[in-house]
Parts: sequence; structure tokens; C-alpha cells
Amino acid sequence: MSDTLTKAPPQAPTRPWAKIIGTAVLLVVLVLLPVLVGSHVAYLKLAQYVLIGAVGGIGLTLIVGQAGQLSLAHPFFLLLGAVSYAVLAGDPAETPDLVSLHWPPMLAVIGAVIICGLVGLAFAPVAGRVRGIYLGVASLSLVFLGLWLGQSLGILTGGTGSGRPPPTFSLFGFPFSNTTPAPTIAGVAIQKQQRLWYLFLAFAVLAYVLARGAVRGRIGRAWRAVRDNEAAAAAMGVSVARIKAGAFTISSAYAGLAGVMTALWLDLVKPDENEFTGNYSLTVSIAFLAIVIIGGLGSVPGAVVGAMVVYGLQQFFLLGANEFGWFAGAQFGGLSAVILAAFIYGLAVVLVVLFEPGGAAAIGRRLAASLSRKEQR
Amino acid sequence: MDTFIQLVVNGLGKGAVYALLALGFVVVFKATEVVNFAVGSLVLFGGYLVYVLRDVIGWYGAAAVGIVGAALVGLFIERLCAAARGADQNSLALLTIGVDVIITEEIVRRVGAAIPFIGDPFDARPILIGNVAIFRTQAIALVVGLVLITAFFLAFRYTDWGVAMRAQAENREAAALMGIRSSRVTATAWLIAGALAGVAVLFMATQDFSGAGLGRGTHAIALIAFPAAIIGGLDSTAGAVVGGIIVGLTESLSAQYISFDFSKSAVFLVMLVVLVVRPSGLFGTKELSRV
Amino acid sequence: MIRGRSKAIAAGALALVLAACGSTADTGAGATGAGGIKTDKGVTDTTISLGIMGDTSGVFKNLGAAINAGNQLWVDDVNAKGGICNRQLKLEVVDHGYKADTAKTLYPQLEPKVLGIVQLLGSPVLAALKQNLIDDNMTAAPASWSSQILNNPNIMMIGTTYDLEIVNGMAYLQQQGLIKDGDTVGHIYIDGEYGGNGLLGSKYYAGVHKLNVKEAKITSTDNDLTNIVTGFKGDGVKAIVLTTTPGQSASALAANQALGLNVPVLGNNPTFDPALLKTPAAGALGNLYVAASSAPFSSETPKAAEIAAAYKAKYPGSPLNGGVDVGYVEGLVWQSVLTKACENKDLSRPGVQTALKSLTSVKTDDLVATLDYSSPGSPPTRGVYIAKVDAKAEGGLTEVAPLFTAPDAAGYKAPFQK
Repeated sequence: MSDTLTKAPPQAPTRPWAKIIGTAVLLVVLVLLPVLVGSHVAYLKLAQYVLIGAVGGIGLTLIVGQAGQLSLAHPFFLLLGAVSYAVLAGDPAETPDLVSLHWPPMLAVIGAVIICGLVGLAFAPVAGRVRGIYLGVASLSLVFLGLWLGQSLGILTGGTGSGRPPPTFSLFGFPFSNTTPAPTIAGVAIQKQQRLWYLFLAFAVLAYVLARGAVRGRIGRAWRAVRDNEAAAAAMGVSVARIKAGAFTISSAYAGLAGVMTALWLDLVKPDENEFTGNYSLTVSIAFLAIVIIGGLGSVPGAVVGAMVVYGLQQFFLLGANEFGWFAGAQFGGLSAVILAAFIYGLAVVLVVLFEPGGAAAIGRRLAASLSRKEQR
Repeated sequence: MDTFIQLVVNGLGKGAVYALLALGFVVVFKATEVVNFAVGSLVLFGGYLVYVLRDVIGWYGAAAVGIVGAALVGLFIERLCAAARGADQNSLALLTIGVDVIITEEIVRRVGAAIPFIGDPFDARPILIGNVAIFRTQAIALVVGLVLITAFFLAFRYTDWGVAMRAQAENREAAALMGIRSSRVTATAWLIAGALAGVAVLFMATQDFSGAGLGRGTHAIALIAFPAAIIGGLDSTAGAVVGGIIVGLTESLSAQYISFDFSKSAVFLVMLVVLVVRPSGLFGTKELSRV
Repeated sequence: MIRGRSKAIAAGALALVLAACGSTADTGAGATGAGGIKTDKGVTDTTISLGIMGDTSGVFKNLGAAINAGNQLWVDDVNAKGGICNRQLKLEVVDHGYKADTAKTLYPQLEPKVLGIVQLLGSPVLAALKQNLIDDNMTAAPASWSSQILNNPNIMMIGTTYDLEIVNGMAYLQQQGLIKDGDTVGHIYIDGEYGGNGLLGSKYYAGVHKLNVKEAKITSTDNDLTNIVTGFKGDGVKAIVLTTTPGQSASALAANQALGLNVPVLGNNPTFDPALLKTPAAGALGNLYVAASSAPFSSETPKAAEIAAAYKAKYPGSPLNGGVDVGYVEGLVWQSVLTKACENKDLSRPGVQTALKSLTSVKTDDLVATLDYSSPGSPPTRGVYIAKVDAKAEGGLTEVAPLFTAPDAAGYKAPFQK
């Protein structure tokens, strides 16, 4: 019998300390990032933006990669999350013409996430009727629904001209805005942007850990069963409809959280004026898909890598343009930050589909395997 | 009543162009089952060639080059899809998304601040019949559309290529066994989709049709191919034409009788309803899944 | 054991962080610079920096480019005469493309570098940055004229507001016999501060003269208004009012002509751009009347002609439109403010505010009517010029009515007027 058909993975003595040290160093860097960055707050904003992409990307990779349901509707839930947060936590004194319920901010965030989850649940039956690429196209219409509702429900959204200010986040009376005096770490003042960084980090870590747990647990197995062969899964006793509903609920909840983070990052909640440019547009739909493809469909750490590529590069180039004068010719038809970033991730998507459909996750696995093989010798 | 007639005229005129886009979309889907997310970039590429060449070789020459150029881009995408061995339909659709991003950004960058109108021979010269205005761009689009669609259907029915295409759409493996070169059918399908996009853009980037020149807005308009094709049925060429017309009428009638905001999204919301109630569209064949 | 190691590392990091914690001492307010003059961010002993947040890539890019040039021409003139307060002026320019979210991202990068903002283009941008301006005590001269923003003490409005432009414009149309009491008019407006403010004007005038206003709300990136104008035709409108972008004006005007409606069209000052004369809609622009607080580019007012000449000399090939006058006026108002602040020996941001409120008649060499800033909440002036499209005039507009204030406009109460 041939034993070269599938090579068993090398049973190396596991050396987890490399992984542990790596994770620890990463954690220290993340926690101390405001100190490392110092007064160059723009880099901190870049890192915050990557975390937004990571949270949204994790949600999308769960539904597209694990559960196999193609969804282009993420921007709709981002918008819903941002507007829900603004409506729930808004202060009527600040925005008298708009609906504002003045809830405590943390409660408003939870409320926004739950609202998005429920709306995602409401869309789930569509996944029962419509499959594959048709589902992707159907989800596209949610983006247009968001466009229309955003434009017409001005008393909730503030209108497409200038939107509404997002309520300042605060936790037990500690405001996430600039204060004097402010606490410092190693001499670096922890003001609004630094506080938001820690908030985003907490959200992202929570999102990551929960997703990892889901993927490794029963629910992940059920998702993958439905993804690979619905009929077989049903035959094995998996309630397909319920699994799909769960996937949509969770993914839209993640998108809702990313929407709240977007509102806080942008310092503005504003629906888009058209379907192709703006924070809740088809362009964002495609950016999130790119994050998921580049990272590897279904891989949670992959989604983080994808976010670094798609969201990180874009902000990085923009930063270069503003701080260092890169792309100075952009106004006159030259290459601009946003365009270069789009080229790169468009190309990355094409390359991934052509050559490494498993994305960054697959590349990472191969690297890890070859490293441990090297150690064996 | 006059308003209603005018709105119907407005809608039919645009519907002809949407039908062309939807037809290209459906041809690709029938041959390959791939949803072409790059329809916007085919449109932009064709339009771009017209923009840069019209002062050099005249508008008609530039239009011809634009159509051929867009067709070739379609072929290029087809070659990319072929190179992605073993990728399933979803992955290929994502591939077209990646290509679309690259091409669109490059063309939008080159067109830059200009946002040119490219319908020189017929733009902004309306014909007034009684109390109803007929926009020349839309009228010519209607005629051109009719000619092309009729030619297409005749070819589909009576030529070898048409038979091969229908055979492949019906059952790819059996068709291959019968000696039909799948790659040739696929390549032709993408060429046609590109060419139709190249024709459509001549009418889209005009004052009459969209009020804006070639730019990101044109790319967004091209997406209308989706609801038009879905409503008609993704694998029905007749359905594409009907779908395009329905889309045009929905747009103009809902703008007046519901609201302008709603009309922009109306078409996609109608598409959602059609997908849920009748996933195979008005004329498409129902999908069966065998266990 | 391994877990214990990672726990130890985490604990160590936490200890580091806690050990490093502290608090900021209260930093003092602005420093004092040369000549005993109080200074602030953006002011050194030799320079005063002012910021521009403009649109050179979005829907008002031609107007924006001209306004930027107007700002620069003013700076050049002032610096040539020795500057202000023995300091040379400097401009920091950013482009937000008429997008509120881009502006929000760019503002924190601009703010530390400048004393104030000499041009803030875009009502949505202004509205989105309203609180930021108040928080930073940053005074700005907007290149947008919504009376909705007059409750912001940090704004120096440099002309007549949109609502008053429309009231005056409609009064002009009525005076010319083009509309009369009881008519129906259509108003196409962009969602937000710009459009909403224009609409206030038409609704006020309609209330006084028993007109029926058909409203059509759009966004700044909608391009095809044919179906809206079709509806207006069915409603029997006798005039169309536009508070839109130039591209949208072209679409409405083209439809107005194509459908055989051919009614007069009244637009606010940003609705026209001479670049429209090179588009397919050029033949349909004859019905447009533009109501603006500043003179058209081709005006023969001496100062306007001087600026036009300087603009053409320094920026050959740049778009010729009234924006260059707007930019120059912004500069002139800032000049009055800074000169007064220098006299008060206080070039800090609060000092700028004090100086502004003390100005009761700022003159701009007739580029706009005399401005009065002593009643916050009230538009500083109420007069407009009316111009019509003329392909042969430089800048595409010819003046058909000199500066005037209609009686209805004098009686109009702006939202925050006391």
C-alpha cells in the first residue's frame, strides 16, 4: 500500500513556547502602543482603523468561510450599528431635532449590537430560499436598503449632508474624550485617541476570542457541515435553517460592533449619499470581502491579517500623503493613496484566487509547518 | 397623464441600455455559471478608449475601438478565470471582483477631474413630439439595442455557435463529449459581454441618460445589470431584455410616484423580492439540487 | 508551567504600565510673543498661519480652486505690503472633496498648525466640524453661506446667506413678471445645510406671496434630475429653484429645455460653474438666474477687475469663476480681524474672537456689501447681485441687477436672529 498519498503531519515535539512568547510580546506591544507612538497620534488612528476592519472581517469570515453563506451586506449592518448607537446614547440636549434616548454608552453599544443581530436574524430566511452566488447578489440589496433608509430617516440618521455627532463613549463616568488633567503612562497623556485605542483593543480581543471559540467548538463544526454539503448535514441531524440563522445573527452583530467603532473613529455618524462612495457603500462591501479572501476564508487570525492589508495599507498611504507629502501629484490624475491601496488589495484578491485559495491562513500554516520541520533536523 | 407617458418614455429609453448590459451578463452566466462582477470595468474601459481616441480618429472610429477594446478585456478576464484551475463559481466571482477593483480604479484615476461626456453625435438634442420629449440618446439606444438583440437571438438559434452555447449551458459534460470546445464557447461569451458593455457605455456617459460623464458613477450604473438579469432570470437571454426594460420603468415611475430617494434603491429591492419569491426569475429555469 | 510563564509576562507588563502611570499637569494658555503680543498655535514671531479646508477634487472643485487662489492672492498682497502685526502670512491647505467624513479626518491634522481658518468650504463640512471649532475656539470664514450656522460664535460669515439669496431672487423674478402670487414653483435642493437653508428661503417667500412650493430632495452626488423635472412639468410649475451643485443644475436645465417646459430657473451662488458651458448642456443654460452676494467674475467693479487680472496672470488656465472674489473677501475680513486683534495686542484665538465681535462695518471695496458682525445670529448683510449665463462673458455670467435688498428680504428673520 502506498503511504505517500497523504503525508502525515510531522509529529514534532510541540514547542509551544515560541508561540507563547510571540503572543506575549504582541500583547505587550498592543498594550503599550500609545507609549510607543508618543505624539504621532495618526499612527494610533491607523491601528484603530485596522481593528475596525478586523472585527468586521472576523464576522464576515465566519459567515462566508465557516458557514459558506456569501454575504455582501456588511455595510448595511455597519450603518445600522452606528446609527443605533447614536440614537440610543444620544443626548437630546445636543441634538434636539433628532431621536436621542440618552442611554449609558456601554448599554447603547450592547443595544446596537443586539439590534444588528436581530436584523441579521430577520434576513436569514432569505438564505434558506436562495443559495450560493444568488445569496450574495440578494445581500447586495441590503446595501441599497441602507442607502434609502439612511437618506429618508433623517430624524434618526441626521441626513446625508452632515449626519449626527456620535455620543462620547464613557464607562462608569470615565469619559473617552480629552480631559484636563489626564492620566499618563510613561509620560504619554492618555487622551481621547489613546482611550479609544484601549476600547477598540478590548472589543477586538473579545471578538477574536469568541470567534476562535465558535470555530473550534460545536457551532463551528455545524457551520462547516452546512457549508460543505447541506443535504448531508440535514441528514446528520443538523438544523440547517437554525445554523444559517445563527450565522447571520452573529456576523451582523460583529458588523454592528464594527459600525459603532466606525462612528467613534470617524467622530461622525452619517449615511452615504450614494451607493459607491462612503463608509457604508459597495466599495466597503468589496473591501471586507477582500479582507476575508486575502486572509483565507474561515480563518479568524486570517481576517486580522486581511484587515492589516486592506484597511491598514489604505490608512498608511493616506497618512504618508498627509504627513510626508507622498502622492503629491494625486490631484492632477496621479496616483493617490486610496487608489494605490485599492490596486494592491485588488491584485491580492486576484493572486489569492489564482494561486493560493487558502489565503494568508494557508500561507501561515505552510510557513509554520516548514519551520517546525526545520527544527526537527 | 402626460407625465405618466413621459415617465414611461424616459424609462423605456434607459431600459434599452440596461437590457444590453443584462444580456452580456446573462450570456456569461449561461456559458460559465460565473456572475460577472466586472461589468462596471468593461463599461469604463470601453468608454475610456472613446474618450482618449475621439479627437484622434473621430467619434465613430473611437467607438469601434472602444467596443473591440471592451470585448478584449472580457476575453482577458475569461483567460484569468481559466487559469484559476479548480476554483468554484464563488471563487471565480470573487476573482472578477478583484479584477474590477483594479481596472476601475485605474480608469477613474486616468479620467480624473475630466468626467467627460462621450455621446457626441446624439447627446442633448431632444425631439419634442406634442407634449412628450424623446431624448435622442435613448431613442438611438433603443434602435441599436433592438438590432443587436435581434442579431443575437438569430445567431443563438441558427448558428453553430448558438447551438454550442445552448448545449454547453444545458449540460457541460455532455456537450464536451459531443465535441464542443468549452473554452471557445466561454471565450466567445465573454467577448460578447465586453462588446455589449462597450456599446452600452456610449449611451450611458451622456447628459441625456445619466447627467454625468464617464466616472465612478458610470460604474455604479452598470451594476444595474444585476437586478435586470436576476428579474428576467439569470440564464434566460429573453429574460435579460425584459428585465432591463422592467428596471428602466421601475426607476422612472417610482421616482415620481413614490419618491426620488426610493427610486435609486427601488430596483435592488424589487430584485430582492423576486429572488426570494421566484429565485429563478421570470423566465429562468428552476434549479434542482440532487442529493 | 508554560501558562505560568505567560502569566508572569503579562503581570510584568501590567506592573510596568502601572508604574509608569501619572497625570498631566494643567498646561497654561497661550504664550506671549514678540512685542508683548499674546500668541497661540499658528503664530510665531515672524509668521501667522491660517488654514484652508477646501474642495479641489469634489463636486465644487472648480469653485474651490478659484477660492484657494483668491485666498493666496490676498496673502500675496498683504505680505507685499509688510504683512500684519509685523508678521508674514502663511497658508496651510487641505482638500476634503466636499465630504464631511474626510474633513473630520483632516481637521485634527490641520488644527495645531493654524491660528484660524481663512476658508472652510462646504455646508456639510461646516456642520460636521461645528463642535470641533467651538472646542478649539477656532474662528473660520466659511465659503458656504447657510444661516443655520450663525449660532456658532466661531464663524465669520462673509456674505448673504442662502435663504436670503433665494428670497431676493424670487423677488427679482416676480418684479420682472416671471412669477406671480399663487403660482406653483419647484425647488430641487441637496439634503443638508446647503439645500435645507435655500429651502427656508423659498418657503418663506411662498408663505408671503401664497406660492405653492414642490420640494425635491436629492443628495450631492445624484446626477440625473430628468424624472424630477418631468414631475414638476406635470405639477405646472412656473419656475424652478435650485440649491444644487453645478452638474445637477445642468441636468435640471437640460431637462427644463428638453421637455419643453422652459420656465425661469433661479439658483444660489454655488449652482453655476462656467465649465458647464463646455458640456452638452451648454445650450440649455440661458434660463438660469444666479443670485449671489458677491459680484460675478466679469463685474466691472474696480477691485473685482483688479483681482481678475491678477488671477489670470498668476494662474493662467485656471477656471474663471466668482470663487476668486470669494477667496479675496475671506482674506479681507480676516485682515480686519487680525489688524484689530494686533491693536488689542492679543493674537490668541480668544483674542481673534474679541476682535471679530467688535467689527460693525467691514468694507471689502464693494466686492460684497458692508458686513456687520456685531449681532451674532444675524446674517451680516442681506444684498445680492443677480446674474444670467452668458457664454461670451468671462466667468460665464453677466450682471443683470446690481446689488439690492428686496423688502421681503429685509423683513426675513433668520433662524438664529435675535
